[in-house]
Amino acid sequence: MDFKIIPSTCSYCGTGCGVLFQVMDGRLVDTLPMKTHPVNQGRLCIKGWNLHEHVISEKRLKSPLIKKDGELQETTWDEAIKTAADGLKAVIKDHGPDSVAVLASAKITNEENYLVQKFARAVVGTNNVDHCARL
Amino acid sequence: MQEQIKQWLEQGDIDIFLGYKMIQGHPLPYCFTKENPDDLKDLIVGNARYSLEKMATKIAAEHKELKIGLLTRDCNQRALNVLYIWNQLNPENIKTIGVNCCPSNLKEHGDCSYLEPELIPPIKKMIGIDNNMQVKAAEQFNQKERFNRWMYEFQKCIKCYGCRDICPVCFCKECSLEHTDLIATGGIPPEVPIFHLVRAVHMGGRCIDCGLCEDACPVDIPLRLLYRKVNEIVTDIFDYTTGTRADQSPFNMLGEEVTLKPKPI
Repeated sequence: MDFKIIPSTCSYCGTGCGVLFQVMDGRLVDTLPMKTHPVNQGRLCIKGWNLHEHVISEKRLKSPLIKKDGELQETTWDEAIKTAADGLKAVIKDHGPDSVAVLASAKITNEENYLVQKFARAVVGTNNVDHCARL
Repeated sequence: MQEQIKQWLEQGDIDIFLGYKMIQGHPLPYCFTKENPDDLKDLIVGNARYSLEKMATKIAAEHKELKIGLLTRDCNQRALNVLYIWNQLNPENIKTIGVNCCPSNLKEHGDCSYLEPELIPPIKKMIGIDNNMQVKAAEQFNQKERFNRWMYEFQKCIKCYGCRDICPVCFCKECSLEHTDLIATGGIPPEVPIFHLVRAVHMGGRCIDCGLCEDACPVDIPLRLLYRKVNEIVTDIFDYTTGTRADQSPFNMLGEEVTLKPKPI
Protein backbone atom coordinates (compact mmCIF):
# COMPACT_ATOMS: atom_id res chain seq x y z
CA MET A 1 0.00 0.00 0.00
CA ASP A 2 1.40 3.31 -1.04
CA PHE A 3 -0.47 6.57 -0.53
CA LYS A 4 1.03 9.95 -1.28
CA ILE A 5 -0.18 13.54 -1.34
CA ILE A 6 1.68 15.58 -3.93
CA PRO A 7 1.40 19.39 -4.03
CA SER A 8 1.22 20.95 -7.47
CA THR A 9 -0.21 23.86 -9.41
CA CYS A 10 -3.37 23.65 -11.50
CA SER A 11 -2.51 23.69 -15.19
CA TYR A 12 -5.93 24.59 -16.56
CA CYS A 13 -5.54 28.38 -16.62
CA GLY A 14 -3.15 31.16 -15.70
CA THR A 15 -4.49 31.73 -12.15
CA GLY A 16 -2.14 29.19 -10.58
CA CYS A 17 -4.28 27.55 -7.91
CA GLY A 18 -2.53 25.17 -5.52
CA VAL A 19 -3.74 21.59 -5.76
CA LEU A 20 -2.93 18.34 -4.01
CA PHE A 21 -2.83 15.13 -5.97
CA GLN A 22 -3.73 11.94 -4.18
CA VAL A 23 -1.66 9.06 -5.51
CA MET A 24 -2.58 5.52 -4.47
CA ASP A 25 -0.33 2.61 -5.47
CA GLY A 26 1.24 4.75 -8.19
CA ARG A 27 -2.12 5.77 -9.68
CA LEU A 28 -3.40 9.34 -9.62
CA VAL A 29 -6.82 9.00 -7.99
CA ASP A 30 -8.03 12.43 -6.90
CA THR A 31 -7.40 16.16 -6.65
CA LEU A 32 -7.89 18.39 -3.61
CA PRO A 33 -7.50 22.17 -3.22
CA MET A 34 -4.52 23.26 -1.11
CA LYS A 35 -5.90 25.04 1.95
CA THR A 36 -2.86 27.15 2.73
CA HIS A 37 -2.13 28.22 -0.84
CA PRO A 38 -2.11 32.04 -1.14
CA VAL A 39 -3.88 32.01 -4.51
CA ASN A 40 -6.94 29.80 -4.04
CA GLN A 41 -7.08 29.42 -0.23
CA GLY A 42 -8.68 26.00 -0.33
CA ARG A 43 -11.05 26.62 -3.20
CA LEU A 44 -11.15 25.34 -6.79
CA CYS A 45 -13.39 25.57 -9.83
CA ILE A 46 -14.87 22.48 -11.44
CA LYS A 47 -11.92 22.12 -13.81
CA GLY A 48 -9.42 22.17 -10.96
CA TRP A 49 -11.40 19.61 -8.95
CA ASN A 50 -11.17 17.24 -11.93
CA LEU A 51 -7.55 17.94 -12.80
CA HIS A 52 -6.52 14.31 -12.33
CA GLU A 53 -8.92 13.24 -15.07
CA HIS A 54 -6.97 14.75 -17.93
CA VAL A 55 -3.81 13.08 -16.73
CA ILE A 56 -5.37 9.62 -16.56
CA SER A 57 -7.69 10.11 -19.56
CA GLU A 58 -7.71 7.33 -22.13
CA LYS A 59 -8.09 9.96 -24.83
CA ARG A 60 -4.68 11.39 -24.00
CA LEU A 61 -2.20 11.21 -26.90
CA LYS A 62 0.91 9.20 -26.18
CA SER A 63 2.73 9.70 -29.48
CA PRO A 64 2.67 12.37 -32.21
CA LEU A 65 0.19 11.95 -35.08
CA ILE A 66 0.45 13.07 -38.71
CA LYS A 67 -2.43 13.21 -41.15
CA LYS A 68 -1.54 10.92 -44.07
CA ASP A 69 -3.98 9.78 -46.73
CA GLY A 70 -6.82 11.56 -44.93
CA GLU A 71 -6.34 9.93 -41.54
CA LEU A 72 -4.18 10.49 -38.46
CA GLN A 73 -1.32 8.05 -38.14
CA GLU A 74 1.24 7.52 -35.38
CA THR A 75 4.72 8.75 -36.19
CA THR A 76 8.09 9.67 -34.67
CA TRP A 77 8.86 13.02 -33.04
CA ASP A 78 11.54 13.78 -35.66
CA GLU A 79 9.09 13.33 -38.50
CA ALA A 80 6.33 15.26 -36.72
CA ILE A 81 8.57 18.25 -35.99
CA LYS A 82 9.94 18.22 -39.55
CA THR A 83 6.41 18.17 -41.00
CA ALA A 84 5.33 21.10 -38.77
CA ALA A 85 8.48 23.08 -39.62
CA ASP A 86 8.08 22.50 -43.38
CA GLY A 87 4.43 23.57 -43.17
CA LEU A 88 5.28 26.77 -41.28
CA LYS A 89 8.18 27.59 -43.65
CA ALA A 90 5.92 27.18 -46.68
CA VAL A 91 3.23 29.48 -45.20
CA ILE A 92 5.80 32.14 -44.22
CA LYS A 93 7.41 31.98 -47.68
CA ASP A 94 4.09 32.36 -49.51
CA HIS A 95 2.21 34.79 -47.26
CA GLY A 96 4.77 36.49 -44.99
CA PRO A 97 5.49 36.03 -41.25
CA ASP A 98 2.35 37.91 -40.10
CA SER A 99 0.23 35.16 -41.57
CA VAL A 100 1.31 33.04 -38.59
CA ALA A 101 0.00 33.41 -35.01
CA VAL A 102 1.19 31.58 -31.91
CA LEU A 103 -1.15 30.59 -29.09
CA ALA A 104 0.76 29.78 -25.90
CA SER A 105 -0.56 27.37 -23.30
CA ALA A 106 -1.40 27.42 -19.60
CA LYS A 107 -0.39 23.79 -19.37
CA ILE A 108 3.29 24.54 -19.92
CA THR A 109 5.71 26.43 -17.67
CA ASN A 110 6.49 30.13 -17.61
CA GLU A 111 9.88 29.43 -19.15
CA GLU A 112 8.39 27.39 -21.96
CA ASN A 113 5.88 30.16 -22.63
CA TYR A 114 8.83 32.58 -22.85
CA LEU A 115 10.40 30.32 -25.44
CA VAL A 116 7.11 30.20 -27.37
CA GLN A 117 6.93 33.99 -27.73
CA LYS A 118 10.66 34.11 -28.50
CA PHE A 119 10.06 31.55 -31.24
CA ALA A 120 7.22 33.69 -32.66
CA ARG A 121 9.18 36.95 -32.60
CA ALA A 122 12.74 35.83 -33.38
CA VAL A 123 12.22 32.75 -35.58
CA VAL A 124 8.90 33.34 -37.32
CA GLY A 125 9.13 37.13 -37.18
CA THR A 126 5.63 38.08 -36.00
CA ASN A 127 4.10 39.77 -32.96
CA ASN A 128 0.97 37.63 -33.21
CA VAL A 129 1.32 36.02 -29.79
CA ASP A 130 -1.55 35.22 -27.45
CA HIS A 131 -2.30 32.87 -24.57
CA CYS A 132 -5.11 30.41 -24.02
CA ALA A 133 -5.83 31.78 -20.53
CA ARG A 134 -6.69 35.15 -22.10
CA LEU A 135 -9.35 33.82 -24.47
CA MET B 1 2.27 11.31 20.37
CA GLN B 2 5.06 10.33 17.96
CA GLU B 3 6.19 7.54 20.30
CA GLN B 4 2.66 6.17 20.59
CA ILE B 5 2.19 6.06 16.81
CA LYS B 6 5.63 4.54 16.31
CA GLN B 7 4.73 1.82 18.81
CA TRP B 8 1.42 1.15 17.04
CA LEU B 9 3.17 0.87 13.69
CA GLU B 10 5.86 -1.44 15.06
CA GLN B 11 3.40 -3.68 16.89
CA GLY B 12 1.25 -3.94 13.79
CA ASP B 13 -1.77 -2.29 15.45
CA ILE B 14 -1.89 -0.06 12.41
CA ASP B 15 -0.33 -0.36 8.94
CA ILE B 16 -0.38 3.34 8.03
CA PHE B 17 -0.98 6.59 9.89
CA LEU B 18 -2.57 9.64 8.30
CA GLY B 19 -1.34 12.89 9.83
CA TYR B 20 0.25 16.11 8.68
CA LYS B 21 3.75 17.09 7.67
CA MET B 22 5.31 20.38 6.56
CA ILE B 23 5.99 20.07 2.80
CA GLN B 24 7.28 23.02 0.76
CA GLY B 25 6.16 25.37 3.55
CA HIS B 26 2.61 24.04 3.66
CA PRO B 27 1.08 21.79 6.31
CA LEU B 28 -0.12 18.91 4.14
CA PRO B 29 -1.68 15.52 4.84
CA TYR B 30 0.95 12.80 4.95
CA CYS B 31 0.79 9.05 5.06
CA PHE B 32 3.25 7.65 7.63
CA THR B 33 4.23 4.01 7.19
CA LYS B 34 6.06 1.38 9.21
CA GLU B 35 8.71 1.21 6.48
CA ASN B 36 9.77 4.79 7.27
CA PRO B 37 9.27 5.23 11.04
CA ASP B 38 11.80 8.09 11.12
CA ASP B 39 9.34 10.26 9.19
CA LEU B 40 7.30 10.47 12.37
CA LYS B 41 9.61 13.07 13.86
CA ASP B 42 8.16 15.47 11.25
CA LEU B 43 4.56 14.77 12.29
CA ILE B 44 2.65 17.96 13.02
CA VAL B 45 -0.95 18.71 13.97
CA GLY B 46 -1.11 21.48 11.37
CA ASN B 47 -3.44 24.46 11.40
CA ALA B 48 -5.06 23.49 8.08
CA ARG B 49 -7.81 20.93 8.29
CA TYR B 50 -8.18 18.27 5.61
CA SER B 51 -10.60 15.40 5.59
CA LEU B 52 -8.21 12.60 6.56
CA GLU B 53 -11.20 10.30 7.08
CA LYS B 54 -12.22 10.77 3.44
CA MET B 55 -8.72 9.68 2.39
CA ALA B 56 -9.03 6.71 4.76
CA THR B 57 -12.38 5.81 3.15
CA LYS B 58 -10.79 5.85 -0.30
CA ILE B 59 -7.85 3.73 0.87
CA ALA B 60 -10.13 1.27 2.72
CA ALA B 61 -12.27 0.85 -0.41
CA GLU B 62 -9.27 -0.66 -2.19
CA HIS B 63 -7.44 -2.21 0.75
CA LYS B 64 -10.19 -3.66 2.92
CA GLU B 65 -8.02 -5.26 5.60
CA LEU B 66 -5.59 -2.37 6.00
CA LYS B 67 -5.44 -0.96 9.53
CA ILE B 68 -5.42 2.81 9.42
CA GLY B 69 -4.42 5.30 12.12
CA LEU B 70 -5.68 8.86 12.00
CA LEU B 71 -5.06 12.21 13.62
CA THR B 72 -8.53 13.39 14.60
CA ARG B 73 -10.06 16.66 15.63
CA ASP B 74 -13.65 16.61 16.95
CA CYS B 75 -15.06 17.05 13.43
CA ASN B 76 -12.98 14.13 12.09
CA GLN B 77 -14.27 11.97 14.92
CA ARG B 78 -17.89 12.85 14.17
CA ALA B 79 -17.33 12.11 10.49
CA LEU B 80 -15.79 8.73 11.42
CA ASN B 81 -18.90 7.89 13.47
CA VAL B 82 -21.10 8.56 10.44
CA LEU B 83 -18.79 6.55 8.15
CA TYR B 84 -18.93 3.59 10.60
CA ILE B 85 -22.73 3.73 10.61
CA TRP B 86 -22.87 3.67 6.82
CA ASN B 87 -20.31 0.83 6.55
CA GLN B 88 -17.75 2.92 4.69
CA LEU B 89 -15.12 2.19 7.31
CA ASN B 90 -14.75 -0.69 9.72
CA PRO B 91 -14.22 0.65 13.27
CA GLU B 92 -12.04 -2.38 14.05
CA ASN B 93 -9.52 -1.24 11.43
CA ILE B 94 -9.35 2.38 12.59
CA LYS B 95 -7.30 3.79 15.44
CA THR B 96 -7.35 7.48 16.27
CA ILE B 97 -5.29 10.02 18.17
CA GLY B 98 -7.34 13.02 19.22
CA VAL B 99 -5.92 16.52 18.99
CA ASN B 100 -7.17 19.95 19.96
CA CYS B 101 -10.01 21.31 17.91
CA CYS B 102 -11.06 24.48 16.17
CA PRO B 103 -12.38 27.37 18.24
CA SER B 104 -16.16 27.28 18.42
CA ASN B 105 -19.05 28.14 20.69
CA LEU B 106 -18.08 25.14 22.77
CA LYS B 107 -14.33 25.57 22.75
CA GLU B 108 -12.73 28.97 23.00
CA HIS B 109 -9.20 27.84 22.41
CA GLY B 110 -8.24 25.73 19.44
CA ASP B 111 -5.20 24.97 17.30
CA CYS B 112 -7.14 25.22 14.07
CA SER B 113 -7.95 28.76 13.06
CA TYR B 114 -10.13 27.95 10.08
CA LEU B 115 -13.51 28.55 11.62
CA GLU B 116 -12.85 31.93 13.16
CA PRO B 117 -15.51 34.26 11.78
CA GLU B 118 -14.44 36.02 8.63
CA LEU B 119 -15.30 39.62 7.88
CA ILE B 120 -18.57 39.62 5.94
CA PRO B 121 -18.84 42.21 3.14
CA PRO B 122 -21.62 44.82 3.71
CA ILE B 123 -23.47 43.82 0.51
CA LYS B 124 -23.86 40.28 1.82
CA LYS B 125 -25.29 41.58 5.09
CA MET B 126 -27.72 43.78 3.17
CA ILE B 127 -29.12 41.37 0.59
CA GLY B 128 -27.63 37.97 1.38
CA ILE B 129 -27.02 35.79 4.40
CA ASP B 130 -24.24 36.49 6.88
CA ASN B 131 -22.13 33.30 7.08
CA ASN B 132 -21.66 33.77 10.83
CA MET B 133 -25.41 33.86 11.50
CA GLN B 134 -27.08 31.34 13.78
CA VAL B 135 -30.17 29.41 12.64
CA LYS B 136 -32.41 31.34 15.03
CA ALA B 137 -31.28 34.71 13.69
CA ALA B 138 -31.70 33.63 10.07
CA GLU B 139 -35.27 32.58 10.83
CA GLN B 140 -36.14 36.10 11.97
CA PHE B 141 -36.46 37.34 8.37
CA ASN B 142 -40.00 37.11 7.04
CA GLN B 143 -40.61 34.36 4.52
CA LYS B 144 -40.31 36.49 1.38
CA GLU B 145 -37.14 38.24 2.50
CA ARG B 146 -35.61 34.98 3.65
CA PHE B 147 -36.33 33.40 0.26
CA ASN B 148 -34.83 36.37 -1.61
CA ARG B 149 -31.74 36.39 0.56
CA TRP B 150 -31.14 32.67 0.08
CA MET B 151 -31.76 32.95 -3.66
CA TYR B 152 -29.14 35.70 -3.80
CA GLU B 153 -26.68 33.29 -2.20
CA PHE B 154 -27.63 30.32 -4.41
CA GLN B 155 -27.50 32.15 -7.72
CA LYS B 156 -23.79 32.89 -7.14
CA CYS B 157 -23.06 29.15 -7.42
CA ILE B 158 -20.49 28.25 -10.09
CA LYS B 159 -21.34 24.54 -9.87
CA CYS B 160 -17.84 23.44 -8.93
CA TYR B 161 -19.23 20.55 -6.83
CA GLY B 162 -16.58 21.50 -4.27
CA CYS B 163 -19.09 21.17 -1.40
CA ARG B 164 -19.74 17.57 -2.38
CA ASP B 165 -16.19 16.66 -3.35
CA ILE B 166 -14.68 17.85 -0.06
CA CYS B 167 -17.47 16.48 2.15
CA PRO B 168 -16.15 13.70 4.41
CA VAL B 169 -19.56 11.99 4.54
CA CYS B 170 -20.33 12.20 0.80
CA PHE B 171 -19.44 8.76 -0.51
CA CYS B 172 -22.28 7.72 -2.85
CA LYS B 173 -21.14 6.19 -6.14
CA GLU B 174 -23.99 7.89 -7.97
CA CYS B 175 -24.78 11.44 -6.94
CA SER B 176 -28.23 13.01 -7.34
CA LEU B 177 -26.54 16.30 -8.18
CA GLU B 178 -25.27 14.72 -11.40
CA HIS B 179 -28.55 13.01 -12.25
CA THR B 180 -29.77 14.64 -15.46
CA ASP B 181 -33.43 13.84 -14.74
CA LEU B 182 -33.28 15.62 -11.42
CA ILE B 183 -31.09 18.60 -12.24
CA ALA B 184 -30.81 20.19 -15.67
CA THR B 185 -27.31 20.40 -17.12
CA GLY B 186 -25.49 22.95 -19.21
CA GLY B 187 -26.06 26.16 -17.27
CA ILE B 188 -24.45 28.29 -14.60
CA PRO B 189 -25.76 28.88 -12.02
CA PRO B 190 -27.23 25.38 -11.78
CA GLU B 191 -30.96 25.12 -11.24
CA VAL B 192 -31.52 27.13 -8.06
CA PRO B 193 -32.61 26.54 -5.41
CA ILE B 194 -33.18 22.85 -6.27
CA PHE B 195 -29.47 22.04 -6.69
CA HIS B 196 -28.64 23.25 -3.18
CA LEU B 197 -31.81 21.95 -1.60
CA VAL B 198 -31.26 18.43 -2.98
CA ARG B 199 -27.87 18.44 -1.35
CA ALA B 200 -29.30 19.95 1.84
CA VAL B 201 -31.92 17.19 2.12
CA HIS B 202 -29.24 14.55 1.64
CA MET B 203 -27.26 16.14 4.46
CA GLY B 204 -30.03 15.30 6.93
CA GLY B 205 -28.54 12.73 9.29
CA ARG B 206 -25.22 12.92 7.46
CA CYS B 207 -23.79 16.41 7.98
CA ILE B 208 -21.48 16.59 10.97
CA ASP B 209 -21.08 20.38 10.82
CA CYS B 210 -17.36 20.37 10.05
CA GLY B 211 -17.63 23.44 7.81
CA LEU B 212 -15.32 22.09 5.09
CA CYS B 213 -17.97 22.70 2.40
CA GLU B 214 -18.35 26.36 3.25
CA ASP B 215 -14.59 26.63 3.45
CA ALA B 216 -14.24 25.21 -0.06
CA CYS B 217 -17.04 27.30 -1.57
CA PRO B 218 -15.54 29.86 -3.99
CA VAL B 219 -18.59 32.14 -3.61
CA ASP B 220 -19.14 31.87 0.17
CA ILE B 221 -22.63 30.35 0.17
CA PRO B 222 -23.56 29.84 3.86
CA LEU B 223 -23.91 26.07 3.44
CA ARG B 224 -23.10 25.30 7.04
CA LEU B 225 -26.07 27.32 8.24
CA LEU B 226 -28.36 25.57 5.76
CA TYR B 227 -27.24 22.08 6.81
CA ARG B 228 -27.47 23.06 10.48
CA LYS B 229 -31.13 23.84 9.95
CA VAL B 230 -31.67 20.49 8.21
CA ASN B 231 -30.03 18.64 11.07
CA GLU B 232 -31.97 20.63 13.64
CA ILE B 233 -35.09 19.08 12.09
CA VAL B 234 -33.48 15.63 12.30
CA THR B 235 -32.71 16.20 15.98
CA ASP B 236 -36.24 17.46 16.66
CA ILE B 237 -37.95 14.51 14.99
CA PHE B 238 -35.66 11.59 15.79
CA ASP B 239 -33.81 12.84 18.85
CA TYR B 240 -30.58 12.01 17.00
CA THR B 241 -27.62 14.34 16.78
CA THR B 242 -25.60 13.37 13.73
CA GLY B 243 -22.07 12.17 14.40
CA THR B 244 -22.40 11.76 18.16
CA ARG B 245 -22.98 8.01 18.04
CA ALA B 246 -21.32 5.26 16.06
CA ASP B 247 -24.00 2.60 16.46
CA GLN B 248 -26.99 3.50 14.33
CA SER B 249 -28.75 6.35 12.57
CA PRO B 250 -32.54 6.66 12.18
CA PHE B 251 -31.87 6.82 8.45
CA ASN B 252 -30.44 3.32 8.05
CA MET B 253 -32.98 1.34 10.03
CA LEU B 254 -35.24 -0.68 7.82
CA GLY B 255 -39.01 -1.14 8.20
CA GLU B 256 -39.85 -3.11 11.31
CA GLU B 257 -36.60 -2.34 13.03
CA VAL B 258 -37.64 1.28 13.50
CA THR B 259 -38.39 1.86 17.13
CA LEU B 260 -38.22 5.63 17.28
CA LYS B 261 -41.55 7.39 17.20
CA PRO B 262 -41.59 10.38 14.86
CA LYS B 263 -42.72 13.57 16.55
CA PRO B 264 -45.02 15.99 14.71
CA ILE B 265 -43.13 18.89 13.13
